[in-house]
Amino acid sequence: MKRFLIWFVPGFIVGILLMVGGGKALDKTSTNDYCVSCHIHPAADMSWKRSVHYETQSGYRVACVECHLPPKGHGYLWAKGTTGLRDLWSYWTRDSASFNWEDRSRLEVARGHVYESTCIKCHENLFPAELTKEGEDAHLYYKQTKKTPDLHCINCHLNAGHYMEGYTHGSNKTFGSVSSAPKEIYKEPAKVTSHNSFTELIPNSSISFRMIAIPGGKFKIGSSDDEPFRRNDEGPVKEVEISPFFMAEIEVTWDEYLAFYAQTSAEGRSSDTEGIRAKQPSETDAISGATPPYGQPDQGWGMGQRPAISFSYHAAETYCRWLSLVTGKTYRLPTEAEWEYACRAGTETPYFFPGVPKKFEKTGLKARLSKNDTTIINSYVIFKTNSQAKTQTPDRVKPNPFGLKNMLGNVAEFCADWYRPDAYSLYEEEALSDPKGPESGEEHVVRGGSFMDMAGALRSAARDYTRTEAWLKTDPQIPKSIWWYSDCFNVGFRVVCEFDEKTGKL
Amino acid sequence: MKKTSISRRKFLGTAATVGAAGVVAPAIITGCSSGKAKVFKPVDLGTFLDQAPDGPVLKAGLIGCGGRGSGAAINFLNAGPNLQITALGDTFRDRLDRCREGILKQKGQVVPEENCFVGFDAAQKVIDSGVDIILTATPPYFRPEILAAAVAARKHIFAEKPVCVDPVGARSVMATALKAKEMGLTIVTGTQRRHQRDYIGTYNQIKAGAIGEIVGGNVWWNGLKLWHRDNDPSWSEMEWMIRDWVNWCWLSGDHIVEQHVHNLDVLNWFTGGHPVKAVGMGSRQRRVTGDQFDNFSVDFVFEDGRHFHSMCRQINGCAPNVSERLQGAKGSTNCQNLIQDLAGTEIWKYPYPADAEGKENPKAMKPAMDQEHVDLVTSIRNNQGFNELENTAISSMVAIMGRVSAYTGKEVTWDEMMNSDMKLGPKVFAFGPVDIPKAVPIAGEAYVPPAPGQKT
Repeated sequence: MKRFLIWFVPGFIVGILLMVGGGKALDKTSTNDYCVSCHIHPAADMSWKRSVHYETQSGYRVACVECHLPPKGHGYLWAKGTTGLRDLWSYWTRDSASFNWEDRSRLEVARGHVYESTCIKCHENLFPAELTKEGEDAHLYYKQTKKTPDLHCINCHLNAGHYMEGYTHGSNKTFGSVSSAPKEIYKEPAKVTSHNSFTELIPNSSISFRMIAIPGGKFKIGSSDDEPFRRNDEGPVKEVEISPFFMAEIEVTWDEYLAFYAQTSAEGRSSDTEGIRAKQPSETDAISGATPPYGQPDQGWGMGQRPAISFSYHAAETYCRWLSLVTGKTYRLPTEAEWEYACRAGTETPYFFPGVPKKFEKTGLKARLSKNDTTIINSYVIFKTNSQAKTQTPDRVKPNPFGLKNMLGNVAEFCADWYRPDAYSLYEEEALSDPKGPESGEEHVVRGGSFMDMAGALRSAARDYTRTEAWLKTDPQIPKSIWWYSDCFNVGFRVVCEFDEKTGKL
Repeated sequence: MKKTSISRRKFLGTAATVGAAGVVAPAIITGCSSGKAKVFKPVDLGTFLDQAPDGPVLKAGLIGCGGRGSGAAINFLNAGPNLQITALGDTFRDRLDRCREGILKQKGQVVPEENCFVGFDAAQKVIDSGVDIILTATPPYFRPEILAAAVAARKHIFAEKPVCVDPVGARSVMATALKAKEMGLTIVTGTQRRHQRDYIGTYNQIKAGAIGEIVGGNVWWNGLKLWHRDNDPSWSEMEWMIRDWVNWCWLSGDHIVEQHVHNLDVLNWFTGGHPVKAVGMGSRQRRVTGDQFDNFSVDFVFEDGRHFHSMCRQINGCAPNVSERLQGAKGSTNCQNLIQDLAGTEIWKYPYPADAEGKENPKAMKPAMDQEHVDLVTSIRNNQGFNELENTAISSMVAIMGRVSAYTGKEVTWDEMMNSDMKLGPKVFAFGPVDIPKAVPIAGEAYVPPAPGQKT
């Protein structure tokens, strides 16, 4: 018994001390001052102090840990332990100046360090009396779909904890009303009679853009089995003949897209619920274009010469029909074969410049240790390593041998074809000229990779496809927009213009 | 913060139904409340009151003074002591006068002339007239807007079913319901089976497992033709439509919504869920005016794949049946007062109270149309925040889903309904011609005969 007491009493006291001390330590390490003492991010502190969660209506100041840790009893200790260890590791081993804080506040990154359970703990009532009509629809939608983990409060309220310049929450009615484009208004489209590169002029706007003449020829579509990072949908390799055509030098810019938006945008929205699917208007019908977007489709990165993003495949197709109408030429999305032919520009290597993917990786432990040199790819491609997590203007990169910029990287690009993994094996053997892909499908081909991708996904042969449902996941409008994707901002498109060799007609 | 879920659970059998959260707090931040377990407890019928408790005077305003509105006014005044109707609103003066006279004759109350409002803006004027409670029985088309305005003004509500005629209205009411819930307002919605003691007694048996898991069933409102009004040359088209409203889809939602919602609501109540898919058909055979069908037959499917059949008809001289029947793994029930085993042998019957002759008699039970007003006033005076609006919005939406499927011939899903921007009714609202399509819907595609001389 005595022996027991000798061990028990001190053990008991130590235990109590640990509990008290532990509790104190938990509190101490959860104050705002404590967070700021290690987290060297003055911008985040400032934006927090300008946010609605700093000066709240109720006078309650929301602390760092209240959003960045789950509520107590919902994995609080575990999250505090793991994030604490990670923070310590970073503090000792990494240079905080190298962190891209802006990137950390992008939605999909922020979802990893903002806990929805915390939002709901305080905002239990999603239907306050003063909620607007738009808010009602959005919160009903949230209530209906919250069984899925995709929808987070910050999908719409990203600026709740940290102030964001220009963040728009709601229907963006003034979108596109200010353009950075020069002011000369073109009356006539460009007149073109031969297969030479030209500058297209959009009538009744101040917008022009370069169209590059792409010579006809033969090439091998797809990649061979031994290409690194190759996926099965890149084969079998087929030799394909492509007729001459024109392709835009750069991805459709915000300036170009806004010209379309300004001339066609519409308020009206239609519903399918009476069983009447919206009919495609014929070529000659006046074109009814996009409705106002919800939120900030340029992600606040700026517009101008940056590639347009966030619009739907349907919007891209409508843009082409509109452009054809106002220029009297035949503009459309490139076929997948045209796209790869133009991208390769005669090359048969993974890229249209020298090098192999694994030598260009800069992210990940192994890549960092292996001293990869990204100088070459940096000069041709906007990708994960050099994009600073956003699109960039075309002047940042050099063109491919045909004179086309950003075929790889910056934004991925819609193609006209339906996507199928086995599309190439379906090409008709006898007539391998200008293949148009499968006759029907669910999703369309997307090519070229984007600013979010690593080198492996940016190869000339790499294929991807649209994800219509996922890209509209958090659109709170009812019905969802057919013009804007709420959850896709790394895909754009590039126009091609048809050229008839016999008649010289475009 | 005040917890009311326990008392509410005793009050009515809502605990197991959709969205029975129990916290009343008006602020945006309600914060930090602990778990709200939705455990089913049988309703103690002893807590059903024949009369609402006494309390300070409650003033009610009636919006929509037709037959049902006038009836609801009397039901309300009968519910307990210190209840008054102090304001009336209707589109038409003659309907308002008749209602006002009835209240005077039957209950001796005079509604002051300055509180009698006529016209399309009457609803807001009634809401603003200093009342505590809004009673509303207008054509259902007007319901979402009136409900939103009444809740914004923090009024308790009795609203007749259905509460909407289209998906836009349904979603508006769902949001209104949730706002009202957070304010602690009481809302009763005219789905009176939920206030009927025999139904609740049967519900308790089913929830206690008397027929095992519910595997399927049928709901019917096969009844007689309702009323219609012939056009009067002195009326504008708008006036005629509103006076003849049970025959026009944009005003009533068609009879699957306007009337059959009762039985669909019982289906939702007893199953604790709602259908997510509908394939329906229907037609118009003998309806006199308007643009509606007079019969529907709809196959409703739940998320888990269970099928329930719904049938409704408003034609005289056909087999009548207004009821429900749910099949369980161990037996079946008519939801109202009877439970049978798989062989069809009665295993339970609701014990009705005895009448004057000492015999069990359903008529000796408090009528549900009175009971729902007793429940309304009881909840208000006991601050119980009883609110069945969201349930009724969901049941109305289910009925709308069935209607859209029958009109189009297509399969229609709950998600499509929740994402639809269908809004019925004219864009311009004034007396005069009504700019809506008036053709009776025809499902599917027509057969196109081959041109003469061409082989088929």
